Amino acid sequence: MTFLLDRLTSFFHGKPRLTPAELQAAFRGHYKEFRALLTANNNALELMAEMEQALGPGHPFGMTFVRGNCTALSVNIYKMIHHLTRLADGRYAELDQPFRAITKQLEHIIASRPASAEGAIILAMAEVDASMVDQVGEKMANLGEVKNRVGLRTPDGFVITATAARRFIEANNLQVEINRRLKGLDLDNLEELYTVSAGIQGLISNAPLPAELEEAILAHHHQLDTDPQAELLVALRSSALGEDSSNVSFAGQYRTQLNVSREFVGQAYKEIVAGKYKSQAIVYQQQRGYRNQDVQMCVGCLRMVDGAVSGVMYSRAPDDPRSPFVIIQAAPGLASTVVDGSGASDLFRVSRSAPHPILHRNMPPKSADSRLTLTDAQAAELAAMGVRLEEHFGTPQDIEWSIDQSGLLYILQSRPLGSPAPGEVQETSESSATADDLPSPLLAGGVCASQGVGYGSVFTVRSSLDLLRFPKGAVLVIETPYPDWASLLNRAVAVVSETGQQAAHLATVAREFGIPAIFGMNQALATLENGSLVTVDATAGKVYAGRVEPLLALAAPKPNLMAGSPVYKILTQALVHITPLNLTDPTSPFFRPEACQTLHDLTRFCHEKAVVEMFTFGERYGFNDKAAKQLVVENSPAQWWVIDLDDGFTPDFDPESRYIHLGHITSVPMQAIWQGMTAFPWAGPPPVSLGGFGSIIFQSTRNPNLDPAVRSAMAAKNYFLISKNFCNLSVRLGYHFALVEANLGEFLTENYVSFQFKGGAADQDRRLLRIRLISEILGEFGFRVEQKVDAMTARIEKKPGTYLLERLRILGYLLIHTRQIDMVMADQGMAASYQQKIMTDLHTLLDRPPEG
Amino acid sequence: MTTELKILLIDDEIDFVETTGKRLIRRGYLAKTALTCAAGLEIIASGWPEVVVLDVMLPDRDGMDCLREIKEKWPTLPVILLTGHASMETGLHGLECGASDYCLKPIDLETLVEKIAIAHRESRAPGPLSS
Repeated sequence: MTFLLDRLTSFFHGKPRLTPAELQAAFRGHYKEFRALLTANNNALELMAEMEQALGPGHPFGMTFVRGNCTALSVNIYKMIHHLTRLADGRYAELDQPFRAITKQLEHIIASRPASAEGAIILAMAEVDASMVDQVGEKMANLGEVKNRVGLRTPDGFVITATAARRFIEANNLQVEINRRLKGLDLDNLEELYTVSAGIQGLISNAPLPAELEEAILAHHHQLDTDPQAELLVALRSSALGEDSSNVSFAGQYRTQLNVSREFVGQAYKEIVAGKYKSQAIVYQQQRGYRNQDVQMCVGCLRMVDGAVSGVMYSRAPDDPRSPFVIIQAAPGLASTVVDGSGASDLFRVSRSAPHPILHRNMPPKSADSRLTLTDAQAAELAAMGVRLEEHFGTPQDIEWSIDQSGLLYILQSRPLGSPAPGEVQETSESSATADDLPSPLLAGGVCASQGVGYGSVFTVRSSLDLLRFPKGAVLVIETPYPDWASLLNRAVAVVSETGQQAAHLATVAREFGIPAIFGMNQALATLENGSLVTVDATAGKVYAGRVEPLLALAAPKPNLMAGSPVYKILTQALVHITPLNLTDPTSPFFRPEACQTLHDLTRFCHEKAVVEMFTFGERYGFNDKAAKQLVVENSPAQWWVIDLDDGFTPDFDPESRYIHLGHITSVPMQAIWQGMTAFPWAGPPPVSLGGFGSIIFQSTRNPNLDPAVRSAMAAKNYFLISKNFCNLSVRLGYHFALVEANLGEFLTENYVSFQFKGGAADQDRRLLRIRLISEILGEFGFRVEQKVDAMTARIEKKPGTYLLERLRILGYLLIHTRQIDMVMADQGMAASYQQKIMTDLHTLLDRPPEG
Repeated sequence: MTTELKILLIDDEIDFVETTGKRLIRRGYLAKTALTCAAGLEIIASGWPEVVVLDVMLPDRDGMDCLREIKEKWPTLPVILLTGHASMETGLHGLECGASDYCLKPIDLETLVEKIAIAHRESRAPGPLSS
């Protein structure tokens, strides 16, 4: 927390006397450094959040991501230190030491990258997994996972890596010519685009392969050739690296070549590499700002499966992530007829639960006389694989498969299942039929705080004593989702809470752990008996007695695709030096440069000191308390002081005046906060004697230890540090402290709103409840909230100004009304009705056009 | 949004530099390109650019060396380093030599434009007293 008020000591230390013009110039100069520091801080915090998110489910990442983010992060922190040092006239240079120490460790960690993959031109499929995405592309990385980590059968083969493609282009010195042709290309001129695209593709297809690469490809090809009776045919599949894999339509642009014989492998390879310059690809890459080397064509060379039956499988219905069946499309022969839609295929819905019966079969009329494509056993085997793949990858899968003449099932590809295309919605009669089969629930109507299904015995936790006795594998039943219960989550199979919402901290942790959780489940404590066995269907917000098998079969998989891989480990090790925050209390004697152990500590330290430097500028330069103007507010015994950092006051404001009216304040963020603070009078319940806005402020700011009438009692003052686009407000209301800071610059990069809140005089329970309530509300309005005991920080960055102004009005409202929350927190019913009232107020506030 | 800002791109990757230059112009900026450090220095010497975007790897000279020469002769001209190969060491070294920013390719144009505009704005604002 920044409590500037606590640090305002005496004025008039002997310092250089400057003329007013010099002072103004000096102040502006400092403000410029301050603003640059805030932007670097904004970037750094965003990068850290991005790196932490990468450890969760999602797409695989490679060393490029880790190295790039570490570099960008250290650059931004270097800038923060640099700007702080200038801001503080040379002080804090000692920050360089911890900074160098941390970056040195990071460099060391990054340098320990897995040596295996980098530089290899060919990797056997047996060596490939998700961590090698930088070398083999996402498609082959996933197939390697299927083979080596899930243990399913995939075609034998190898990947010709990104390094190989690079060397091929380099060996022929093609890039110069390619660049020459791309130069000046007008993407809007389609004819020109097609001509240039075809020309470049021809250039690549006709260039000779480097001897080393050709030999390596043929040598690996030879190893696949184990059957002397038949000619070896392979499929060459593009596995582009660097494209945005969420853009499925683009990923589909690249080629696959089937049934390639030995003599044509080299040619087919070159043609796939040339596919990087297909016209759509050129347009897409240039629009995204990708350079040539940012997209590399990795190519999988896989033994052809002599398909008797082939097709695709979705591990869930595309429009229903809860569907209890997989969908299989099957056709005789190779999978491509199903994939490209060129042949009629049979459609099966097969249960996801063992023994995987076929629920539904739909065959095109003309194939009615021919043999069945899939037997019951094959359909069941496929469905079981679909379920396993979804479990492994943590999300529903779109799978290409083939069954060969001897009946062996191969997985050819597995990738995340996209959302349904419009107009492609499938009927879900089977899933609703399943719902009909379910017993009636014990409890229903709860809010899903973390998806999934869990089964276990009920254990009610009411106190920290219960906490110690909580058995592993039980269902945690609680009245309120206190963050303290988070320590139980690695032992619980599910959570049911009578109160709380999705944004509660415990919900976040439950989602991280993949533990199903239902909040807001009325009557949970009264209904669920300790020791009774229940099935918790968090996705549907219901609890059933006993074990409900069909629901458990739907249980969401745990996503940890890359956990344990070398790259994942490197990121984890790097984050140890990046994200933990040790410097939490600016008033602590340990809040010092040499105590900074992580990059997060450095950002925290620099930001804190920068604000203090701006605040004490007047003191250091011997210009005086006139800098702070008292805001003229009617009927407010609290003092609101405003310090202008740059252009926060209207030009006609008299700088000699000790007082300022709101009308003279140009600071857009400050005005928004103030609107939120004053939008609603403080109203009951609880019925407390009131005199409108003023009396709340009076009650809130009253500090029994200090007489607010005494001028030196700085603690009773609340300070706004402002410029036109910036506001830093530190508030002490009663016993809690709050800091709102916002910048709304010309550029999104500079924009943010942050909020810190701590403490309160009430007992610990109430304090936690209040913080939780605020966290939940802010979570609903899009803040990234972090909570540590009774302190919280909430932040949003890089959003447009109008969006941030709305958030500032919300914060203004909460600053004033948290006091009232505190009082009613003891009563659960009242707290709930208050939360409702607050949400109603806030929505009214946002619907109302801003004043001024 | 500032328009008519004069931007010099020094980068030997023709496709990148050409496309980026063209797109900057479409957004209302003025852009020139140079494929070598020497060519870039010549344009800077003419007093034209207000912001320089410099690739760290250049054919004729080490990009860092090029940066040093620019900052030595024109200390107030903001230079943004842009590179395809992330390196913490180079990044920090670049900032020490006076670069305004250090960015990684690929970079989307939106982000690059913001960085250019911010670097330009900061270069025009006065610094704190050198006391």
